[in-house]
Amino acid sequence: MEKIKNISGITRFSFIELFGPILIITAASCLIGFSSASLMLTVQFALCYFVMVLALQVFVGNSGVLSFGHGAFAMLGAFVSGLLTAPVRIKNNALSMTDLLQSIADIQVNLYLSLLIAAIVGGVVAGITGVFLMRLNGLAAGIATFALLGVAYNFFFNNTKFGPGSQALPGVPKFQNLFIPLLLALVALVLVYLLNVSSIGRTLRATREDNLAAPALGINIIRVRRIAFALSGALAGLAGAMYSHVAGTVQVQDYYLGFTFLTLSMLVIGGSGSIWGALVGTLLVISVGQVLLMMEQGKAIFGLSIDLPNGARAIFIAATLVVALLWRSSGVTNGKEFAFPNFKKKSN
Amino acid sequence: MVQAILDAISLGGTYALAALGLGLVFGVMRLVNFAHAELITISAYILVVTNDLPLIVSFIIAAVVTALLAVAMELLIYRRLRGTGPAIMLIASFGLSVLLQRVYELIFGALPKSAAIAPWMSGEVKVAGASVTISSIATVVITVVILLIAGYLIERTSLGLQLRAAAIDFKTARLLGVRSNRLIAAAFAISGVLAAIVGFIVVVENPQVSPMYGVNITILALVGIVIGGIASLRGSALGGFMVGVILSLLNTFLGNARVYAYSWLFLLVLIILLVRPGGIMSKANEMERV
Repeated sequence: MEKIKNISGITRFSFIELFGPILIITAASCLIGFSSASLMLTVQFALCYFVMVLALQVFVGNSGVLSFGHGAFAMLGAFVSGLLTAPVRIKNNALSMTDLLQSIADIQVNLYLSLLIAAIVGGVVAGITGVFLMRLNGLAAGIATFALLGVAYNFFFNNTKFGPGSQALPGVPKFQNLFIPLLLALVALVLVYLLNVSSIGRTLRATREDNLAAPALGINIIRVRRIAFALSGALAGLAGAMYSHVAGTVQVQDYYLGFTFLTLSMLVIGGSGSIWGALVGTLLVISVGQVLLMMEQGKAIFGLSIDLPNGARAIFIAATLVVALLWRSSGVTNGKEFAFPNFKKKSN
Repeated sequence: MVQAILDAISLGGTYALAALGLGLVFGVMRLVNFAHAELITISAYILVVTNDLPLIVSFIIAAVVTALLAVAMELLIYRRLRGTGPAIMLIASFGLSVLLQRVYELIFGALPKSAAIAPWMSGEVKVAGASVTISSIATVVITVVILLIAGYLIERTSLGLQLRAAAIDFKTARLLGVRSNRLIAAAFAISGVLAAIVGFIVVVENPQVSPMYGVNITILALVGIVIGGIASLRGSALGGFMVGVILSLLNTFLGNARVYAYSWLFLLVLIILLVRPGGIMSKANEMERV
């Protein structure tokens, strides 16, 4: 019998696929986070990255269209949430904020409300730009979304009316504990999973697999891509806002090339077709970075102390990315969703 | 005014060369090689480090090393990723780009390295009543000569014919007897030499070489090849040239608002892409699949 190509991504709702990742995130966050204060911060950053990678998975993973523009939505979310929550006193007195519009300086809202607003702003801007951008395909779409990131970076870097410009926005309130970002990440995970099993997720993957057959079956490619782009923009806005509340500051450089490519790499390394891939990729990249950091600082890991010269860490991280792609070009998970390890031999 | 026009043309020419290097590699294997930036950087580093040698000797060293690095990239990494799809190769090339930046940091240090390369080039001469820098004239001359040579190579030689054929349809080109491995290695070598030349041009203007030296120009050249029309080498070079000219003109005429030059450039790019998704040199309705 002719072998049917295994298309990556979920087809129908399955409890294991959803609750496996939920369990793993919760367990890993709590176990690692509560072991030391510095690891607690790492876990919180990892959760922000994970939400961002999920946002990329929704659009990039499902549609196969590369987007560098999500960094722009994260940047926007971070600025919105950071400016809305930073104390009025700081915004009116900080040296980096002398040009800030008075109406922005005088606003202060609750952290949770600001996260919601950041997500909405990200979604609306992605929705509007998506109307135009989604007419493009392939590399042109990639470069167009990159142009979007370029405009956002250039604007926020130089504009001191709507933010601190090239400087850091001080005094952004931090999350009180691990559970808030954890809960946000879990909510994002469930939403993305439900979206992926919905007709939007399925039609989107259909357009990725064959963009001639999909419209022949009545799928409006541009329409589903626009919807997915808006939704993933909202998630990216949330991720950026979360990041600002973990870092306690907003700086435009944090959401530019490094951020964009780090999160895209996480998605590709893990396997862009599934949320399980998004999780594995994030975990892998963060833990390799963290282990190397601890080696660099001369700390013992599992009782083993390996001395690493300064600067070697960055080389190892980048090398890991390249080697991971050489080893498994479709990602560590091959784009499959979570399943219990099956030790029995598969019968093809 | 004369200086502004010369600046625009020389910047355009520089970006055209960078775009041509990127376009050659893209044409043969659908790879957007971000690590092209590090080829430009290594050339600039070598020119700075070997500044005591005669210029021509140090340039030859730079060109050879850069071409070797480009071929090494292909042999060690890209060859194994062939056929995995553009997105994965792009991410891999970005990883390679970061990897090389960190290696440069380890070798040359994070702080910029500088040397006065060809100091006579920063002198000024009178042209049509206005004084212009020698380096801008030299850049224009170099880029025109290189583009002519590249044009001859691509239009008139067998290698060029193979490269063009492969850019249009790689599979068919292979069926017709083009040796793919050799051709791709050659494309990488040529793109390495082009990167070395770009490195030379930019290092004369700005001798402060740091690990991320080539990133900016590569990104802009990349934008150039997409708006020019990625399917054709002529389109790539033209697009790169346009990006350079537009950026230079924006910098000259925006006055105090020149910090927003990139925003205007990128907005223009967005508009061009929306009107002509396949680039300026394409027909209106061509679109890439996926």
